[in-house]
Amino acid sequence: MAVTDAEPEAPVVEVPTIEHNMATEAATEVHPGQVGLLPRNDAVMRMSEVQMAERADAPLDDENDQTMLMNMGPSHPSTHGVLRLMLEMDGESVVRSKPVVGYLHTGMEKTGEALTYLQGPTNVTRMDYAAPFFNELAFSLAVEKLIGLEIPERATWIRMLMSEMNRISSHLLFMATNGMDLGAVSMMIYGWREREEVLRFFELVTGLRMNHNYIRPGGVAADLPDGWRDSVGRLLDILPPRLAEYDILMTGQPIWRERLQGVGVMGADEAIALSATGPVLRSTGVPWDLRRDMPYLAYDEVEFDVVVGTYGDAFDKYAIRLNEIRESMRIVHQILDKMPKGDYRATDTKVTPPPRARIDESMEALIHHFKIFTEGFKVPEGEVYAAVESPRGELGCYIVSDGGPKPYRMHIRGPSFINLQTLPHMMSNGLIADAVAVISSVDPIMGEVDR
Amino acid sequence: MGLVPGLITGLGVTLKEVVKTATKGAETVQYPHVKEDPPPRARGVIALHEENCTSCMLCARECPDWCIYIEGHKDLAPPRRAGGKPRTVNKLDRFDIDYGLCMYCGICVEVCPFEALFWSPEYEYSEPRIADLLHDKSRLGQWMDTVPEFEAYEGGAETKAKKVPRP
Ligand code: SF4
Ligand code: SF4
Repeated sequence: MAVTDAEPEAPVVEVPTIEHNMATEAATEVHPGQVGLLPRNDAVMRMSEVQMAERADAPLDDENDQTMLMNMGPSHPSTHGVLRLMLEMDGESVVRSKPVVGYLHTGMEKTGEALTYLQGPTNVTRMDYAAPFFNELAFSLAVEKLIGLEIPERATWIRMLMSEMNRISSHLLFMATNGMDLGAVSMMIYGWREREEVLRFFELVTGLRMNHNYIRPGGVAADLPDGWRDSVGRLLDILPPRLAEYDILMTGQPIWRERLQGVGVMGADEAIALSATGPVLRSTGVPWDLRRDMPYLAYDEVEFDVVVGTYGDAFDKYAIRLNEIRESMRIVHQILDKMPKGDYRATDTKVTPPPRARIDESMEALIHHFKIFTEGFKVPEGEVYAAVESPRGELGCYIVSDGGPKPYRMHIRGPSFINLQTLPHMMSNGLIADAVAVISSVDPIMGEVDR
Repeated sequence: MGLVPGLITGLGVTLKEVVKTATKGAETVQYPHVKEDPPPRARGVIALHEENCTSCMLCARECPDWCIYIEGHKDLAPPRRAGGKPRTVNKLDRFDIDYGLCMYCGICVEVCPFEALFWSPEYEYSEPRIADLLHDKSRLGQWMDTVPEFEAYEGGAETKAKKVPRP
């Protein structure tokens, strides 16, 4: 090989110019066809940290500077944890914005590859910590789909009961934080008071108030304890009058309405183009609810209404969640009537350890017990996606298996993460005070955003 | 509703709450003075019944974050029948659970095949120093007194759940 003195040609790095005014800067190249769907696409700021830092040092030019770059968060009380927003402000209104995520990154998806399918639920349950049952459920449904495992009817209904109770508790938490974010601070206490009652029920059944590790591939961890009906019944009695209080404090309250109506409006096309799901999508009038449109568990056997909004504003998102609490209560009533008798977990010896009583009696059972826990159970090769309707939208779990006892790859479609992408669109040309209302109305849980 | 009547009805709700709190006491449980009773299933702390443990390591292996530390040795015990051969038994040297790491998933309690681990609903064991959250086997053994009887399942799906050994 000939040796040359010539230095290898350095790759040309395009340094973006930053002279022109930020507001008039052409946002980005927009895919044709996208324009119609995303009319406010230029509200998304596409600026790297480096570019932003460069701008920080730019000399002041009072004549021509019209906009200001600003960071909101990551530790801001109204950003639900550690969401950071880069805002470009023109006076008090938001011109462009960009949600910056990653401050709570835990690597749980990666950790999932190192844990067996039996240990998996305890890992995924920590993602959306306000609605842990849904994570476990999506994971378990995915695994069961890969194995082709039938789970007993009772387990299905127990799962449904826990999911709906969890939807109630999660929405109550939303009531609390939404009120608090918007200055109705007493609302925080009200929401938490009711949520506490639901958490007591969780503790009765699973032993923990959150991150339960209760729904497993193959069924649930334990049967419902004696007295669960009374506990649920009590909840169903105390909730309706308290929701009526919410109506006085918020729904019918002119101050509350003034604050929320017409804030963070989004159209149906826009929401669909951004693949928003859950209350964010339903507030625009699209009646899309996986429980009804792609039924899982036994949702086709219960009656409930899918609540939709009309205007796609923050008030609709609030009202939808409030009424979803009522719908969930309706479902829970039906579950109480229909709860079947039977086993709480599958009896397939491939995935279920033997009943405890048999371990004392038989050596085979003991060996089986050891084997299933040390090796884990094998899941056939393949890939699978299972989705459930979590309080925030479509929560999906995608698992690739290479035939071993651990997932080869696990991915969670977190509804919070995807709904977060609607923020710049909803905030554009709104006031910064309304930005708080918009973030709150999306109800992001950062643990799920940053799996 | 106008702004002012709206404000007044809203304040009415909170005022009722104020009166209720003033006359009947607060809704919240006034912890240290009053304590809530956690349900029997509550996962508060793990208790160890040392005699039952065979140091099979199943719990330590299955713990998702490896916070159980076990060391043991084999020992000779007197034969069951006179004239028989001495039995080998496993003796625990060390059994520690680090509650600074434990995430209360309950996997260890579930996998223990010899009924040596139990959940106790006790929760008052916070420490100013995180290192003190490492409970050794004698500390874990003390929790045994607080383990409640295992209550029945509603469906009766699994008749025998776990027998709690009593001294
Ligand atoms: S409960 Fe704690 S000690 Fe037991 S397996 Fe889970 S993390 Fe480990
Ligand atoms: S699984 Fe049970 S018997 Fe085995 S080491 Fe753990 S506590 Fe001891």
